[in-house]
Amino acid sequence: MNQETIIKINNLTKRFPVGEGEFTALKNINLEFFKGEFSGLVGPSGSGKTTLLNIIGSLDSPTEGEAIVLGKQISKLSHKESALLRNKHIGFIFQVYNLLPVYTVFENVEFALLLQNIPSEKRKKMVNDALEWVGLSSMANKKPDKLSGGEGQRVAIARAMVKNPEIIIADEPSANLDAANAHAILKTMKQMNKELGTTFIFSTHDEKVMGYLDRIIHLRDGMVEEDEIINVNHAP
Amino acid sequence: MKLAFQLAYKNLIGAGLRTWLNVGVLALSFIIIIFFRGFLEGWNHQAIRDNIEWELGAGHLVHNGYDPYDPFSILDGHGRLTQEQQVDLFPVLVRQASLYPEGRMLSVALKGIDGQQNLLELPTASFTSSNTKIPAIIGKNMATSIDIKEGDEILLRWRDKGGTFDAANVTIVKIFSTNVITVDKGQVWIPIQKLWEMTGLENHASYYVANENYTPSSLEGWNYKTKDDLLSDFYKLMEMEKISTSFMYLLLLAIALLAIFDTQVLSVFRRQKEIGTYIALGMTRSQVVGLFTVEGTMYSLFAMIVGCIFGLPLFWYLHTSGISFPDFYQDMGVSFPTRLFPSFGIQLILTTILLVVVSAAVVSYLPARKIAKMNPVLALKGKMQ
Ligand SMILES: Nc1ncnc2c1ncn2[C@@H]1O[C@H](COP(=O)(O)OP(=O)(O)OP(=O)(O)O)[C@@H](O)[C@H]1O
Ligand SMILES: [Mg+2]
Repeated sequence: MNQETIIKINNLTKRFPVGEGEFTALKNINLEFFKGEFSGLVGPSGSGKTTLLNIIGSLDSPTEGEAIVLGKQISKLSHKESALLRNKHIGFIFQVYNLLPVYTVFENVEFALLLQNIPSEKRKKMVNDALEWVGLSSMANKKPDKLSGGEGQRVAIARAMVKNPEIIIADEPSANLDAANAHAILKTMKQMNKELGTTFIFSTHDEKVMGYLDRIIHLRDGMVEEDEIINVNHAP
Repeated sequence: MKLAFQLAYKNLIGAGLRTWLNVGVLALSFIIIIFFRGFLEGWNHQAIRDNIEWELGAGHLVHNGYDPYDPFSILDGHGRLTQEQQVDLFPVLVRQASLYPEGRMLSVALKGIDGQQNLLELPTASFTSSNTKIPAIIGKNMATSIDIKEGDEILLRWRDKGGTFDAANVTIVKIFSTNVITVDKGQVWIPIQKLWEMTGLENHASYYVANENYTPSSLEGWNYKTKDDLLSDFYKLMEMEKISTSFMYLLLLAIALLAIFDTQVLSVFRRQKEIGTYIALGMTRSQVVGLFTVEGTMYSLFAMIVGCIFGLPLFWYLHTSGISFPDFYQDMGVSFPTRLFPSFGIQLILTTILLVVVSAAVVSYLPARKIAKMNPVLALKGKMQ
């Protein structure tokens, strides 16, 4: 199969200053992600999953080595360029949803499009489409505090996918959800992955999530322990 | 920028009570600052107008030897002009004299003024309406201090042409009420013809009061001072007053701004997750700083609107109906009107608004600057200190 590389990580090391010394959270990571992958970072707490996702998402930068995302070298991006990369090409889904509390569901989803100066008619259509994807069209005018956990995470998914990004980064998206809701959002994301070709990278401890992944990268102590390609075509 | 305003607006409206408390405090200080400045300005205008109407006219042509602040200059500080030189002028002669109310002695300035004059508000027409030998008018402040009523007589002593003392009773024919203390306190006004007769200084004057038509020409021994020259001390006082009262405004403003500052500091701390989310969604850090700054500044814009809604009708009412004060203040010897019309100029209102908006922007920006240095990863975790 002719696979297109979308993310390339070369000899990446990440160290954090801790007190007087340093803590090495990622050690010499080499990884490649391909377009359309539905992959996940799995490993014990503290193994560096979030740290790696943050670097890929250009929220953080490597101490050594490089991360090339969509052809852009993360450590070389200016604030403006990395903001643009996140705004247009990378969607984030967080464990605790991170919805903006004073905005309605519609406005939360609309936010990234506002930053892109998309005209209001088109914006409206895009937001409504995204809400339809996650099955929340009827909740458009609600405030986040009126939503259940499952609904909140679906809004976050709509917000990540509304701009039709190449990559969606989901850091433990199911950690606060019950089994039924976890399965529901994973099905939605898997469907997006199939129909829209969006590349997903998860981080998770959750067996349920792992069941959906095509590829599982096992991290331990900041190193890749195993890179497991699962060649099953899940259609649960 | 437009987006920052849209978002800031939503955030503020979304924040509810916290927003309206800040807006309320700011709006109140808007109104108080404008009110006090308008009050002071109105008072000053009124004082200037009163001084002109009661004492200054268009200006004074003053004898070089006469200095109103130096009682010793009164003796020789006088002279006379020819009839032609006196066009659009009328004379005032000042002498030193003593009154004897209830056995006490009180030094006064005895001022002769023409009963025919109608340039100044002094009720000199009362001289002619009375048949008494020496009719006198005095101000209310003076009358209170010597405890005298209209119609009463009082013993006056002055130096006659030979320099020896002479004494006679004067009759108080009118007690006038004025805000201009310099024509009231320690002053006794009598017809100038009478004073000439009493002192032998026929046609002499210490100064002449000019009307608007007077064209000053240089006259040997005399010095023309326009009303602005004569008010220069007052203007200086006004400037000083402005400086000292601006401390009060600054204090008031500081309290209002502290509320914004406090909210901002708290926001930057408490809304870290939100800040991290903005950045994750593709805002640059400086855009977020801009958003927070606009949010803080917007308090002052809201306050302006609220202040206008409540303030403008109030100011308009006060400006047109004035504020009345009891006589109490005049009795204390303060140059204070019974009815004061505050003046709220556009300039006053605009400069106050500008001052508040700009300083609100500054105190909003200062705490928000911290965002520019935030690590978005830590912000998302809400772990910044
Ligand atoms: N800013 C930081 N400063 C210091 N140490 C950090 C920082 N961020 C992460 N670490 C450390 O790096 C290690 C990896 O953290 P990371 O959050 O990537 O782990 P994780 O695999 O996502 O764990 P979890 O499953 O608990 O989310 C941890 O030991 C953490 O304490
Ligand atoms: Mg993590």
